[in-house]
Amino acid sequence: MSSQANEQGTRTVRQARGGMRVSAYILMDFWRNLRNFANSFFIIVLPTVLFLIFGVSADWNEFDLPDGTGNVSAHTMVGIAVYGAATATTSLAGSAAVELQQGWGRQLALTSMPHGMFVLAKSIIALVMAAFPVLLINLVGLFTATEMDPERWIATALLTVVASLPFALYGLLAGLAFRSDAAVGAAAGLLVVLGFLGNNFFPLDGILLDIGRFTPMYGVTALARYPLTGGDILSTGEGTLGTDPLWALLLNIVAWSVVFTVGCFLLRRRSTARR
Amino acid sequence: MLYAFPASSPHAGGMNTQIRTERIAEPDDAGSPVITVSDVVRSFPDGDGGRVRAVDGVSLAFQRGEVTAVLGPNGAGKTTLIDMILGLNTPESGTIRVLGGSPRKAAQNGRLGALLQTGGLLPDLSVKETVQIIAALHKNRLPVDEVMETAGLGGIAGRAVGKCSGGQQQRLKFALALLPRPDIIILDEPTAGMDVGARHEFWDRMRDTAESGTTVLFATHYLEEAEQFARRTVLMHSGKVIADGPTDEVRQRAGAAHVKVTWEPSPEELEALPQVISREVRGATITFRTDDADALARHLLTQTGAHGITVRPASLEEAFMQLTSTNYGDKESGR
Repeated sequence: MSSQANEQGTRTVRQARGGMRVSAYILMDFWRNLRNFANSFFIIVLPTVLFLIFGVSADWNEFDLPDGTGNVSAHTMVGIAVYGAATATTSLAGSAAVELQQGWGRQLALTSMPHGMFVLAKSIIALVMAAFPVLLINLVGLFTATEMDPERWIATALLTVVASLPFALYGLLAGLAFRSDAAVGAAAGLLVVLGFLGNNFFPLDGILLDIGRFTPMYGVTALARYPLTGGDILSTGEGTLGTDPLWALLLNIVAWSVVFTVGCFLLRRRSTARR
Repeated sequence: MLYAFPASSPHAGGMNTQIRTERIAEPDDAGSPVITVSDVVRSFPDGDGGRVRAVDGVSLAFQRGEVTAVLGPNGAGKTTLIDMILGLNTPESGTIRVLGGSPRKAAQNGRLGALLQTGGLLPDLSVKETVQIIAALHKNRLPVDEVMETAGLGGIAGRAVGKCSGGQQQRLKFALALLPRPDIIILDEPTAGMDVGARHEFWDRMRDTAESGTTVLFATHYLEEAEQFARRTVLMHSGKVIADGPTDEVRQRAGAAHVKVTWEPSPEELEALPQVISREVRGATITFRTDDADALARHLLTQTGAHGITVRPASLEEAFMQLTSTNYGDKESGR
């Protein structure tokens, strides 16, 4: 058909003029999120300050861990970095869901960018944002109190970023459920509680540890610390409180990821049924 | 105006001129409609377990360069219809073709620009950043500064979108609609939230765009906008097209005119009047609503003692009231 040929011809000329610049979109959207004070405070400033208080200045940090792979500061550093990275993925995935539902998605649907590209762009932004506090806290640790073998250090840092991934689903769930930035902010704020129960800030014991084991941040945090601890649970006193087998940690991660994913699917069905 | 760059224009690179030539020379579009809506149905759950048909068997065709108003009260199905023409929603049955392909494809190729009614902006971006970020996602685009000037955003470029007034946000959305140099521009309640002055200003800007040959389709419930701006009006009610034609004709079809006379008639004389729909008596002044002003005026002046006659055509608002209340048995679709 002539229309087909013509369409083709027009498109060739148009593409010659510039083309889509998804990288520019990613940079601008990243900058938009970074300059959002509430976001950046909880993702970057708060975790760094927490680390300076609990992981650097407190005098117990210079003690070595029971099996000698690093000091207590290293243990605290990984926990707080996981918290920061999880806050990043939570708030970015959540706000992406809110954006889409509040009509920005309709605006984007009228551009040349396919929906899959939007998901990819947002994933890149979320991952870079999650890497921010990890990098910063690790650098602070490096120049202050933290001691760890270089290979363990790199392994924990990488696992910390990976550990933040299930929380993208958690943020998405909050965004889909409540459709507001305030709800996403609250969900990110709730991570302080999950971080406390997840053993991120301060070694738990007794009933809190028994409960904490089953909470969403426990698994990813213990996994990120695995190169350092081998699963051993640090206590505030001498020795350890036992060992978490790797399979139990993975089970925690998988189980919570499934819960979040199913929740997202149910909410998506609800929202499409409504409109 | 948008596409008609003189060769000496600072914006016109050689490429621009070339595109313009190509687009004008598209033979497939000459004659055949640029948008075809055939028998489209779309329903939504009504909340009580049933479904309500937001768009109920609509068929329409729009020609290149045509400026059409889609008029109707809230809930008439205007936005649902527009969403489907934009590919943001899909019909349950029936088909929609835009520029010979799917709406989604036309939108992705930047040939379909739209000003959306609800949301659609990020409050924490500045006006200019919003234009830039959407510009980055179009394969082919007008320069950001040029679009901002056309939409009248120069003075508020640095303002955060969340701090802009409703009218300013509408202007920003208009700029976004212009960005991809669309062949078709669709506006869903474009002047919502604007005061009268801003509305006039908006339509002045829009007129320049329409005069460049862009096909324009806009939804509105401001009847005055349809009367002043659209040559064609599609009237929607409860998901159906209840009238479609030249705006003047749509107005005439719906109860024509008001005839006002000074007269004190007997009941028999009143009874004998032709083509009267209703009347209103105020002292010695009677206003008739009629569907044939000529016949009624002729009768009044020749057969009765009525004098001081004035004839006033019905406004589109009255046309609209009449068409929606009687539901006008012979609904028209297509032209």
